Amino acid sequence: MTLPARYSYPLSGLLLLTLLLAFPFLSSAQQQATIEGRVVNESAEPLTGINVALEGTRWGATTNANGRYSIRNIAAGNYTIVASSIGFQTRKEELSLNAGQTHTWNITLQQAAYNLDAVTVSGKSELREVEEKAFNVDVVNAKKLHATTLDLGHALDRVSGVRVRESGGVGSRMNFSMNGFTGNQVKFFVDGIPIDNFGSSFQLNNIPVNYAERIEVYKGVVPVGLGADALGGAVNVITNRYQQTHADVSYSYGSFNTHRTNANLVYVAESGFTAQINAFQNYSDNNYDITVDVADIETGAYDKNREVERFNDTYHNETVIANLGVVNKSFADRLLVGITLGQNYDEIQTGARQVSVFGDWHRKGNLIMPTLKYQKSDLFTENLDVSLNANYNFGEEQNIDTSHRRYNWLGDYVEYEGPGGERSYSKYKYQNNNGLVTTNWNYQINGRHALSLGNTFNTFSREGHDPLNPDDITNDQPKKTRKNVAGLSYQYSREDWNVSLFTKHYFQKNIYVQSYNPSGDYGDVAYRDRTSNFSKMGYGAAATYFATDNLQLKASYEKSYRLPNSNELFGNLVNLEGNIELDPEKSHNYNLGGSYWMDLGSGHRLNVNQTVFYRDASDFIRTKLNTNQTQQVKDNLGSVTNLGLESQVYYQYQDKLAAGFNLTYQDLRNNTKYVDGRTTESVVYRDRIPNMPYFYGNANAEYTFNNLWQNNHSLSIGYNLLYVHDFYLYWPSLGTNSEKLAIPQQISHDITITYNLGPTNRFQFTLEARNITDERRYDNFSLQKPGRNFSGKVRYSF
Amino acid sequence: MKFLHRYIYIFMTALLVTSCSDPSSVDSCEESGNFIIAATPQALDGVADYLLTTESLESGSISTVGCGQEQDGTYRYYVTNNNKYFSLLYGQGNPGAVTTYQLNSNGKLDELSDFQSETVQAFAPIEDDVLMVKAPRSINDPTAYWYRLNTENSQFTDEGQIDIIELAGNGEGAFPSWLTQVDDQVFMPFSTITGQGNNSFSTSYPDSAWVAVYSYPEMALQTVIKDDRTSFIGRYFTKGLSVDENGDVYAFSSAIATDDNGQMISTKPSAITRINGGAMEFDQSYFFNIQEASDGFYLTDHVYAGDGNVLLMMRDADEKAPYTTGHNFAIVNVHNQTFTWVNGLPDASSILNVTSMNNYVSEDGSTVYTGITIGNTIENEEGEKETVFEGSYVYAIDIASATATRGLEVKGGAITSINKLEPAE
Repeated sequence: MTLPARYSYPLSGLLLLTLLLAFPFLSSAQQQATIEGRVVNESAEPLTGINVALEGTRWGATTNANGRYSIRNIAAGNYTIVASSIGFQTRKEELSLNAGQTHTWNITLQQAAYNLDAVTVSGKSELREVEEKAFNVDVVNAKKLHATTLDLGHALDRVSGVRVRESGGVGSRMNFSMNGFTGNQVKFFVDGIPIDNFGSSFQLNNIPVNYAERIEVYKGVVPVGLGADALGGAVNVITNRYQQTHADVSYSYGSFNTHRTNANLVYVAESGFTAQINAFQNYSDNNYDITVDVADIETGAYDKNREVERFNDTYHNETVIANLGVVNKSFADRLLVGITLGQNYDEIQTGARQVSVFGDWHRKGNLIMPTLKYQKSDLFTENLDVSLNANYNFGEEQNIDTSHRRYNWLGDYVEYEGPGGERSYSKYKYQNNNGLVTTNWNYQINGRHALSLGNTFNTFSREGHDPLNPDDITNDQPKKTRKNVAGLSYQYSREDWNVSLFTKHYFQKNIYVQSYNPSGDYGDVAYRDRTSNFSKMGYGAAATYFATDNLQLKASYEKSYRLPNSNELFGNLVNLEGNIELDPEKSHNYNLGGSYWMDLGSGHRLNVNQTVFYRDASDFIRTKLNTNQTQQVKDNLGSVTNLGLESQVYYQYQDKLAAGFNLTYQDLRNNTKYVDGRTTESVVYRDRIPNMPYFYGNANAEYTFNNLWQNNHSLSIGYNLLYVHDFYLYWPSLGTNSEKLAIPQQISHDITITYNLGPTNRFQFTLEARNITDERRYDNFSLQKPGRNFSGKVRYSF
Repeated sequence: MKFLHRYIYIFMTALLVTSCSDPSSVDSCEESGNFIIAATPQALDGVADYLLTTESLESGSISTVGCGQEQDGTYRYYVTNNNKYFSLLYGQGNPGAVTTYQLNSNGKLDELSDFQSETVQAFAPIEDDVLMVKAPRSINDPTAYWYRLNTENSQFTDEGQIDIIELAGNGEGAFPSWLTQVDDQVFMPFSTITGQGNNSFSTSYPDSAWVAVYSYPEMALQTVIKDDRTSFIGRYFTKGLSVDENGDVYAFSSAIATDDNGQMISTKPSAITRINGGAMEFDQSYFFNIQEASDGFYLTDHVYAGDGNVLLMMRDADEKAPYTTGHNFAIVNVHNQTFTWVNGLPDASSILNVTSMNNYVSEDGSTVYTGITIGNTIENEEGEKETVFEGSYVYAIDIASATATRGLEVKGGAITSINKLEPAE
């Protein structure tokens, strides 16, 4: 295995080009007409991302998070105004505008009975689908993936700049990385609510893609509305909000005895009373074959590259989310009280490395989480919109390691005398007592100025005990954190540019017990109570400019912090060791991007996106292996820079063919010259950060045969390719090149065939083949992932 | 379409430039030779050790940058036997891996095999094997295991059990310090430990030394030799016996037995005692009181150079610590009981770390080569003094003059082991 040890900096040319393209120039304002208003759905909830435009002209806008839009500098005259978006019925109205007039057009959009692809195409042909936001954001239309068996994690893996790394099959731990940021540098939200508290029963690896309507992926700078310490970006999952009684049920079965069920039931009464239930289940034996060196249980001799079946990796989870409440009342646009109940069971096959294998160790967890959601627009005064969310997780997690054995990959074991475990004798059960309150205030001062205030408060207190080890004093020691992140932003918008300025305050308090060595002798341990406080201000700005009808430029900067989360501080008791010494990470993020749309005529359309980003992080939090390689541990790495480049190209032909690719290259470098006051330069100064993918991409294509032999029957064939360049496990510059440990290059091909029948896709049948060439794929310190696998899915909705 | 063409052109050019800037896969490492140095990177720590080869220990410098056999994981231990180099991962309860290397005619290491092993606490070359012992530190689990690793095929060829309570014979459990071949037998010094409470290595018998004698390869217990003039022989992961040219066995005691609170409770001095060749008892007429000879220091480790000359690593007896290697060096002759401090070494307070287990002794026994990593004392963020890595060097200690000379520098790592192999045929 050979890999490049160091790279030069080949990106300067492209960077220069992008800088030239991005040179900002401002347009002059004129005394002309304005249209503004608000777009809501039938439940009076604001709709984001709705295109509002004057037909046949270049004037248009997209609604913001509050459903508001404004189109300025319109020449006087007669127009047809159109509001449209994927999944909604298009509304049109004729109007005439006088010079200087401000016309208000508030509308309600109804959900469309749609053929998705057709809507996409016609939507684009009339109105260019644009992201008005100055933030660098990708929106994944999750509905397009509803026919697949993907979970949210794997859906995100197809987004440009995103890599989702996992430790195995269904339900395995996932590690998300985006533009060089990994794990908790990127925060996850569901409808704007952070989900890092939700326990193991509700995570990326088990939420089906059907739960989402769309997924917004913010790269780099994150709006204050998502009020958290998202240093590297954020993913906001927008859930399905059916406004009428609706049901959507699907079941899939696939390789490795994998069963998944998802049900989405919504009831809406005339009175405004609404009840929603979302239930999903995943089950898998995950008994896929891997190629490992199998040690003989007696002699220890390795049988090299032997194919064996995983045998202690069964995973299942069952989750129900229920909400009851009212919509469209005078006191609330939406008031929902709900509960999320879930449980999961997870067998642990390996340690952080595949060489350590377990045969009985498992963990389980449950989720009991009451939730409250409140939304009201025009509270107290017109244009003041408020939302509040709160939840508390009473769930428990348990780690069960009571088998005093040593296994090998064949499932052979040596049984030892007396009590003991495979890693550590444990039945430790704990409760994290997570609480969360988020509030958001938005005030539209007038068509051009707006203020937003967001606050997220988070509390954590781990309490646990181990019946097998009741005297272990470390289980009684406090493990508490409190976090608060508040953000204030100001937006100013003009017809062809807008800008947002914001500031954020980060606060974290940790209460814990620190072990230390009072004598300096090896093995001597004593404990002391510790409290640490962190309070810092961050700030930033984001701007976008439409240079022409077809070219949008975006630039943003943020000075941001990322607070360590509770698992990183206190461990997750499986394969993540806690590091209470972990400091918050600080970063300066710069993003520059351009999007170009082209209509090539005759139904051919092309979209090109180019982003350059630069990060300058200190106390960079990265994952490494602990000293004896059994677990991962988070670690502050002095200073890291990352210069990256991201490209996306998409092509569409009518409603038949869609194809595209994205590629990401990131040059992550260790920027610490002198470690801890040393006077000699670090030998890995400017070396590439090890064990991080730095060049990867996706390509996909889908062809749809409409109205096959009869109306309303259609067949689509989709193809997806995933590429990850090889990378080193340890510092690239150290050691002899040809002998270094590396994660090899990975290419996998997935094929999806979907057959739709019924007037509105009532029935959908999908066949999926993933990793069809049976490529060996690795992740996370060379843990092997499933080979070729198949699944089938049936979906019914009305 | 022009835009598209231009775009694709630029992107492909960027990719091409990227791939062209890959250095060739030809290894740039020029270093080769018979000496194998294990270096643990002190940079912002990757966890890998690197095995470097070099021709000379006397001068020059080698670096882990671009050189060295990458070891999967630190906490590795190294041992040579039968002209092979074994790299053992200490997995702390998880299975460790053992990788075997030999030297090729180009002076580079070739990997022969790797295999899975239990994590063991003692391992030593015995005949053509590496004998390993995995010892429990809990009285509830009183079985130790031994494994015989055949160095020809790198496989375990035999294993057995040792009842540590029975071996101790005093109600506590025997905990072996190390293994040494004496003639055709294996001597295993041990301490006895309570295996419970706050300090499982505590003992009620701090003033006795024991050596279990086993036949080899059967590993049948022959006898236990006991002496009440010193505390136990050797230390955790530390060899405590050496055999001289006359076949006499010298035993090195640190006198570091502890009670349940970790207090040092041995009333005996740190000393060297002797078991005469062929005898199955300590020579009661021989006693070398090191604490007295050094005026208040105790020995932590020893390297036998030849003709009764031994390099000792020493530490102030007022700062006894059960697991710490001393940073003061002295040369003693165990035959005529002379004691001399070594000159020319960095001040003990500026030493960060010394190679304890694998030091190299020249073939004529005149020079001991030891790896010393020196540090720089700084004040950290919390105002505490801290010694940080500064550089790592091989020091050649001339036995006759008791003088050390700085030799080879190892860049980008702390020297943890120095060994020598001959090229395999």
